[in-house]
Amino acid sequence: MFRRQAISCLRRTPQSRTLATEASSTETSRPQPVLSKKPKPRLSTAIILNRSPILTRSPTSFENAYYTYQARVRRALHQPFPYDFYFKQGSLLETRFNLEEKDREKASFGPTFVQDDYQDLAKVEADKAAVKLLAQQEGEGESLAPREHPSDKSGDIKSLDRAGERNLYLLLKSKENGKDVWRFPQGGVETTDFLHQAAQKDLHAECGEGIDTWIVSRAPIGVYKPPQSDPSAPEDVVFFYKAHIMAGQVRPAEGIQDFAWLTKQEIEQRLDKDYWGNVKDMLSDF
Amino acid sequence: MSTVASKTAALPARFGRAPRIRAHLRKDKSTGLPRPPVNIVTREFAPCRLEDHYYNTLQDDLMYMTYHHEHLPRPPPRQIRLKFDPNDPYSKNRHNPSVGGSQIGKKPPPPSTASNVIKLEKIVVHTMVKEALQSKSNLLGAIIAMRALTGENHKAGGRHAVDGIQIVKGKKSVGGWIRPGVPVGVKVELKGPSMYEFISSLVEFVLPRLREFNGVVLPPQSSSVNTPSAVSGVVSFGLPPQAMGFFPQIEVNQDAYPKMYGMHIHFVTNATGVGAENRARALVSGFQIPFIRR
Repeated sequence: MFRRQAISCLRRTPQSRTLATEASSTETSRPQPVLSKKPKPRLSTAIILNRSPILTRSPTSFENAYYTYQARVRRALHQPFPYDFYFKQGSLLETRFNLEEKDREKASFGPTFVQDDYQDLAKVEADKAAVKLLAQQEGEGESLAPREHPSDKSGDIKSLDRAGERNLYLLLKSKENGKDVWRFPQGGVETTDFLHQAAQKDLHAECGEGIDTWIVSRAPIGVYKPPQSDPSAPEDVVFFYKAHIMAGQVRPAEGIQDFAWLTKQEIEQRLDKDYWGNVKDMLSDF
Repeated sequence: MSTVASKTAALPARFGRAPRIRAHLRKDKSTGLPRPPVNIVTREFAPCRLEDHYYNTLQDDLMYMTYHHEHLPRPPPRQIRLKFDPNDPYSKNRHNPSVGGSQIGKKPPPPSTASNVIKLEKIVVHTMVKEALQSKSNLLGAIIAMRALTGENHKAGGRHAVDGIQIVKGKKSVGGWIRPGVPVGVKVELKGPSMYEFISSLVEFVLPRLREFNGVVLPPQSSSVNTPSAVSGVVSFGLPPQAMGFFPQIEVNQDAYPKMYGMHIHFVTNATGVGAENRARALVSGFQIPFIRR
């Protein structure tokens, strides 16, 4: 019993004090830590609501030239195509494939590359007519939807179909201190909520229930502390969350004057400089 | 945007007169064909939609979703046994036993950074043909189908790292079933654009048309998270034989193949450490492959 006590005493003794010294003198003279009088910071969440690109990016002219060149190299080196494996001999589908293949060869290697060794001109014309009829039956030749939406031409920044190749983000316009300010959707955090839950609530509170959204992560993607004029006031801390819009459209709440779906470059023109400096790295350049 | 589109549409392949041949190329002795002075390699010939989707959207989202905050640098790994020092008179000429215990399922993932966000590295498609045990010519149908399905070929396009369709041989001897060295199946490794092309045909043509497929079944919650398969960062699932007929590459002339083959598909990612499987699933579900829990 006595021995166990002794061992436990040894364990508790800090290594630094091996000799008996006047411990009380040093401990009392240590200054008490000064408790900050500042009140607890006020937390809020802001949501960077993103509409992902809905169209593939159109390649630059350099990329296009590169792809054309590589396609030509590939066509020049490819293994022979097994016609008899894929087509019944003399079938209409084979005829169509042969005609199309000739066009593709001409497009790749020039109009003089393919020799038109027609034996029977009448048969060739008949083949062409049959292939044309087949194409009509299959509904080919219908024009595709344009890559430019009507809202691009009209400059409608509220449309979700605008700028299909770009990442769009939602900005709201509201009145703060008698001034019109563009900002991301934002709201306070109640003490019982997690931040990501608060973000979802705040988004619906400002943009209505008519949108289907998904908050990407539980952890915030960024933080912003607005500059404060009064140092004794509680500090404001804004946590940013990324979200995607799946369906629906924004119906702004009462305090919100306007909304817009904007690209990063358009957002820069509307935001306050300090705010922009904090959010710019959370947005996609393209 | 409109100006870009009009510019790109107007770009033709320009054809001039071919240059006059001044010096003839050296000929290959075995084939008698001229040998080009450089290695001709084919590269991407079209923009890749799913790859763009990964870099536009998925990569950012996955970085946020899988981010694990560590406010201090990691402590150095614990030395659980003294290092073997051959010059130490004690350990000299002694047996050097390996460190005990499997650490494979217990390693933490590398610290989250912007540069090691989870990424799809390759897809391995594998099929076993049981009849190949009787005669290896039964593998031919599977080889033909896989070639049509993936378009892969040995060293295709002058790329030495492309293996094409590989024959899988038995490793172990299992009584009455398999012997070492016997060809029993075929596999293909897909990387780059062909990998994304495979995903898109799988997701758009095959999975929606499969009956009774609600999603890839997740393991039960009680299953161990430390097994090698749970930390490898590979998502695997199988498709029944009738699924092969739904791939448009096969569908056009399904009658030309002796039969349809089922397949195993492995999505290999760069995720490692504890929880790698879950991160890999998050990535794969970003390509619209559904998961369900039983």
